[in-house]
Amino acid sequence: MIRLLQLELYKIFRRPRTYISFGVVTATAIIFQLAMGSGGKEFFEFGMQDISEQFNVQGNIINGYLVAYLILQSLLIQIPLLVALVAGDTLAGEANIGTLRLVLTRPITRTQLVLIKFAASTIYTILLITWLAVIALFLSLAIFGEGDMINLKSDAFVMILKDDVIWRYICAFGFAILAMTTIAALSMFLSAFADNGIGPIIATMGIVVVLTILSSLELPMFNAINPYLFTAHMVGWKGFFDADVPYAAIRHSAFILLLYTGGFLGGTLYYFNRKDINS
Amino acid sequence: MIRIAAIAVLLFIAPFRMLATDAGQLYYALRTKVLQVKDYTADVRLKIDIDYMKIPDLSGKLYYKAPDKMKMVRKDGISILPKKNINLTLSSLIPAGNVTVIDVGTATLKGRKLRILKVIPEEDNTGIVLSKIWVDEAAMLAYRTETTTKDEGTVTLDLEYGKYVKHSLPDKIAITMDVKEYKLPKGVTMDYSEIPKTEDLKEKMKDNKNKKGVIEIAYLNYVVNKGISDAVFKEMK
Repeated sequence: MIRLLQLELYKIFRRPRTYISFGVVTATAIIFQLAMGSGGKEFFEFGMQDISEQFNVQGNIINGYLVAYLILQSLLIQIPLLVALVAGDTLAGEANIGTLRLVLTRPITRTQLVLIKFAASTIYTILLITWLAVIALFLSLAIFGEGDMINLKSDAFVMILKDDVIWRYICAFGFAILAMTTIAALSMFLSAFADNGIGPIIATMGIVVVLTILSSLELPMFNAINPYLFTAHMVGWKGFFDADVPYAAIRHSAFILLLYTGGFLGGTLYYFNRKDINS
Repeated sequence: MIRIAAIAVLLFIAPFRMLATDAGQLYYALRTKVLQVKDYTADVRLKIDIDYMKIPDLSGKLYYKAPDKMKMVRKDGISILPKKNINLTLSSLIPAGNVTVIDVGTATLKGRKLRILKVIPEEDNTGIVLSKIWVDEAAMLAYRTETTTKDEGTVTLDLEYGKYVKHSLPDKIAITMDVKEYKLPKGVTMDYSEIPKTEDLKEKMKDNKNKKGVIEIAYLNYVVNKGISDAVFKEMK
């Protein structure tokens, strides 16, 4: 099994498209850091207008912690695409180049193959989020320095002391890995139905975009379904940056994401085990 | 008979005249004492209790220079202080220049009998419309001020004295002020929260308007009238 996993990882990391994801994360973070370095204060003052009318807020506001948070927020939509780029290609990509039948002639079950490909996609997701942590957080800290972190919510101005921030980022990145694993499972599920990688990647992005719009609209007609959409729970990492971390809500969101991941993986196994493999 | 009547009238009027004069004298004496502090630095602990501001207690160094310079500095940290007229000194909340002082009697505050003065500024340059001051006449200390400002609502300052009473500097203050609404579009902030019902949202938005906030400062020590450079008050990055 370990040998097969190594083989899957080799397949993932020998394709140039895998490195596109790391390049996109790096470029986005650096562009954001340059922008915050040149006009970050003016940008943030715009968001702080209500506060600035009554209070003088002074000190190193545009610090590494704040910049990292803004980068994570801006990459909220892009990261699922980058995960889908690889996970959506796992089964459909093999079908496309005609190697799926060949792989299945080896003495492994279809269940084992799906689980190995899912494990490889999860490892890729972990590496991508870890790279995001390095570029967004540690590079921002190196450029902008440490400081207390301000988090502007729609109804609250949250300030977290600098000594109280790092553990929140560790938890937030952990949660982001969980959320992106759900996306990997969704992409793989869609990949099982397709015979080329483009379809599952676009379908994954379509689902994420539509559901994210539904999750962000505060319309009563959507409130009934919002708690059941995985996209509403994907932003659970932000909960770690509240003054009082809503652990119960985060646990609930993690449970929903695990449920979806299990559901997508189960669906993939169910369908793939019955699929007529022709290529 | 006429002389007796005149003496009776004088005896009746005199206390009121004395009271009116005393009120003015008391206010000016208090103000003179307060204004003797030209500058100070103090290690402080600040607690902000405003509904929409989720801020832990902040420790730092507070710099004050008369008449209106104030700055809090926290090493590598962010400091937050109320703006302009509502700064955290007694001197900024008692009107400057010529004033009309009205004695409105006495009241007991935390077991202390205090004289209440209403002070109306005659000049229009401080933004203060009316100030009500609770004064301990014997100690010549203000224990509470309630200041109505033009633009920033009503500000109440409660003071507790201890080690620095000779400078009229408090060990602890609580400033109660009107706070304005705070709201950002949820589409921009993309908040994570348990999804509330529409009625809850309306109630929350209503609650967010026109609230009172309390800021408490504990002064751990003071260095008074040692001179502070204006450069200290220049804004940091």
